[in-house]
Amino acid sequence: MTAALALPTRRVEEWKYSDLARALGDAGFGESSARVSVGKPPAGVEIFDLDEPNRPDWVKAHYGKLSNNAVSAVSLAKARGGIALRIPKGKVVEEVLSLDFSGEGHVRALLVLEEGAALTLSEAFDAGETRNAGLEIVLGPNARLDHVRLSPVSDMVQVEEISLTLARDAVYRGHFANFGAKLSRTELAIALNGEGAEAHLSGVSVLADHHADVTTQVSHAVGRTQSTQLFKKVVSGKAQAVYQGKVVVAHGANGSDSRQTAKALLLDGWAEADLKPELEIFADDVKCAHGAAVGDLDADSLFYLRARGIPEQEARHLLIHAFLEDALTDIANADLRETVRGAVSDALNRVSA
Amino acid sequence: MSSAALETKETVAGLGEKYKYGFVTDIEMERAPKGLSEDTVRYISAKKGEPDWMLEWRLGAFRRWLSMKEPTWARVHYPAIDYQDAYYYAAPKNTPKKQSLDEVDPKLLETYKKLGIPLHEQMALAGVAVDAVFDSVSVATTFKEKLNEAGVIFCPISEAIRDYPDLVKKYLGTVVPVTDNFFATLNSAVFSDGTFVYVPKGVRCPMELSTYFRINASETGQFERTLIVADEGSFVSYLEGCTAPKRDENQLHAAVVELVALDNAEIKYSTVQNWYPGDENGLGGIYNFVTKRGDCRGARSKISWTQVETGSAITWKYPSCILRGDESVGEFYSIAIANNYQQADTGTKMIHLGKNTRSRIISKGISAGKAQNTYRGLVSVYGKAENARNFTQCDSLLIGGECGAHTVPYIESRNPSARIEHEATTSKIAEDQLFYCLQRGIGQEEAVALIVNGFCKEVLQQLPMEFAVEAQKLVGISLEGSVG
Repeated sequence: MTAALALPTRRVEEWKYSDLARALGDAGFGESSARVSVGKPPAGVEIFDLDEPNRPDWVKAHYGKLSNNAVSAVSLAKARGGIALRIPKGKVVEEVLSLDFSGEGHVRALLVLEEGAALTLSEAFDAGETRNAGLEIVLGPNARLDHVRLSPVSDMVQVEEISLTLARDAVYRGHFANFGAKLSRTELAIALNGEGAEAHLSGVSVLADHHADVTTQVSHAVGRTQSTQLFKKVVSGKAQAVYQGKVVVAHGANGSDSRQTAKALLLDGWAEADLKPELEIFADDVKCAHGAAVGDLDADSLFYLRARGIPEQEARHLLIHAFLEDALTDIANADLRETVRGAVSDALNRVSA
Repeated sequence: MSSAALETKETVAGLGEKYKYGFVTDIEMERAPKGLSEDTVRYISAKKGEPDWMLEWRLGAFRRWLSMKEPTWARVHYPAIDYQDAYYYAAPKNTPKKQSLDEVDPKLLETYKKLGIPLHEQMALAGVAVDAVFDSVSVATTFKEKLNEAGVIFCPISEAIRDYPDLVKKYLGTVVPVTDNFFATLNSAVFSDGTFVYVPKGVRCPMELSTYFRINASETGQFERTLIVADEGSFVSYLEGCTAPKRDENQLHAAVVELVALDNAEIKYSTVQNWYPGDENGLGGIYNFVTKRGDCRGARSKISWTQVETGSAITWKYPSCILRGDESVGEFYSIAIANNYQQADTGTKMIHLGKNTRSRIISKGISAGKAQNTYRGLVSVYGKAENARNFTQCDSLLIGGECGAHTVPYIESRNPSARIEHEATTSKIAEDQLFYCLQRGIGQEEAVALIVNGFCKEVLQQLPMEFAVEAQKLVGISLEGSVG
């Protein structure tokens, strides 16, 4: 069992910039199970505790079906308990549903939105423990999910694999705010399986001396699907920011449209940014583009502000905020957007302190 | 499917490209015994009359190679290569050296004529010195005197090993170490010949240097070794062009090219590669596993790679620059065209080590038929590379819905003052562009050729004039039928 579930080292290409085996040491993730709970469940959300016997059909139909990487295999094998949520057909949930992860070890969650259902999901984490979370999301036809994930600064290893499948005309918006951990890896595997499906991903990482890796794979399995990605990173101290994004357009998936942007600001010292925007295209009638850039603040912009009497420190702050802002405006829910903005401001204060 | 898409499909079906250079010259060959062993290595070394140190170097590489594994990370698929089922050395029997072209076997000259490379005319018209490698041994070396006057050494590497052992010892294997990778190590053990260029301090090489590589003998892999050293303040432009005759067995080619640029020196290396790509069913074709690397060892040095890759069944090639010297510059301009069942996995590495180093990558990939075309690149800025600058543009063009275009760029920065920019796009030929041309009475084929040429223009412009013409023709030939 241990051989089959060996943790990836940096010699595994997808983990080149995040040496999980080394960060965890001999102890690995351990055998314990972490917890996940729903704070104040909104009306209309069906909840099932995965620890209970007699799983309903909708759990049986979807649980463990999407996850496909080495780390989620471990959480599937070892996690006890966890949570499954269902939003029934046509149900539009207005309140934010919040998933709170705590404790040490492996944990699983499943979220199913049936046809025409809509939900705003927020994920929160306690920073004190090493954790390996696996989240599966199934979006039925016309379903809509707004998702905001905010992971706080942590000195532990925090890994989450999020796997999604989208049916016809389903729309997913995800925002990933990351403030770094000893090793932080957020991996998204998104399958656009129905025509008209859309996935829009955005994220900010503000790092002071920590590591944050956002790895995405978006598969355009059928045509007339759309995906956009916008990731911004501010890196200082000895921090390392990683973005690996792969867009796959399957044979015959004509009319696929994909855009991918990753930008990093290196502020000082020994900061490192590693970007790998990847395209894998097997159809010809597509529009795919990606861009990536790494650098310092633009000297001209800085000069412009200084010329108007704005002190350097303040000018830098303004420019950094502006750099991150267009990734933040993608958060649809105003309350969550403000929460993330607040967290970003706090992190920026730490960065420049 | 729209009518235009259907049309594209039909035209791709018409891609059954006739490889114009598919013919075999019938010259008696001298071969090493089949297979690869220490004896093969000794045989090659003895044939070349090499000194002991060179034999030891080769044997060291061979022993190392035995413990290495063939890399599998590239996006290319091919049946396992049986390294014991090939000949590692073949030379035309008609050696030793000819004093003039008149003495060269007329059949050889005929071959070049068919390729459209009339040696005489080209030398006269273009002022190009051609060190023509026919399979493994140089048979015609020209313009020697003029280069001698300038002090430029331009000779087969086997000759350099005999005549300039100190220079060869000093630089061989310093850019691509013997242990570098599976194919480079194999090359180090069995390389048969290649080119050595040394440009002394302050000399601007008076002409473009050029070598035409040909693979001729059936079942003979060709293992070229090229070493170019530009001493302080010198300049050299080197042209490499290839065609190979048609046949069905796959042929292995594993070349190594090393470039060294010292302070203020500049090397411009251009390649046009149109080896036999296999037929329209993916049968045959050359396997091309090449390690090319330039070392900008001195301050303000510059290395520029330009490549037009249209041939080979499999291309595995990443011409790279190590920007070690402060203010050194690396450039990579590439056109890769893959048609039918061709697989190309090519790109570059720019390693920024020195301060104020700059690099520029322009890559144009074109896929048609059932071909797979991958750009794979790395831009890495190390902690001490203050103010390093990189710009990368990778564009892919897809012709027909059965092919693939892939982009795998790695970007690593460890210096806050560095600026790296990367852009990539993938698309097919825009219908409105086509429509615009057709509307003005330009035929379909001509229109697509026009658009594709425009797509490649930035790279074609980088080629020396003599080559640009050939390259433009090649772009047309490679896509012939697919476009009209």
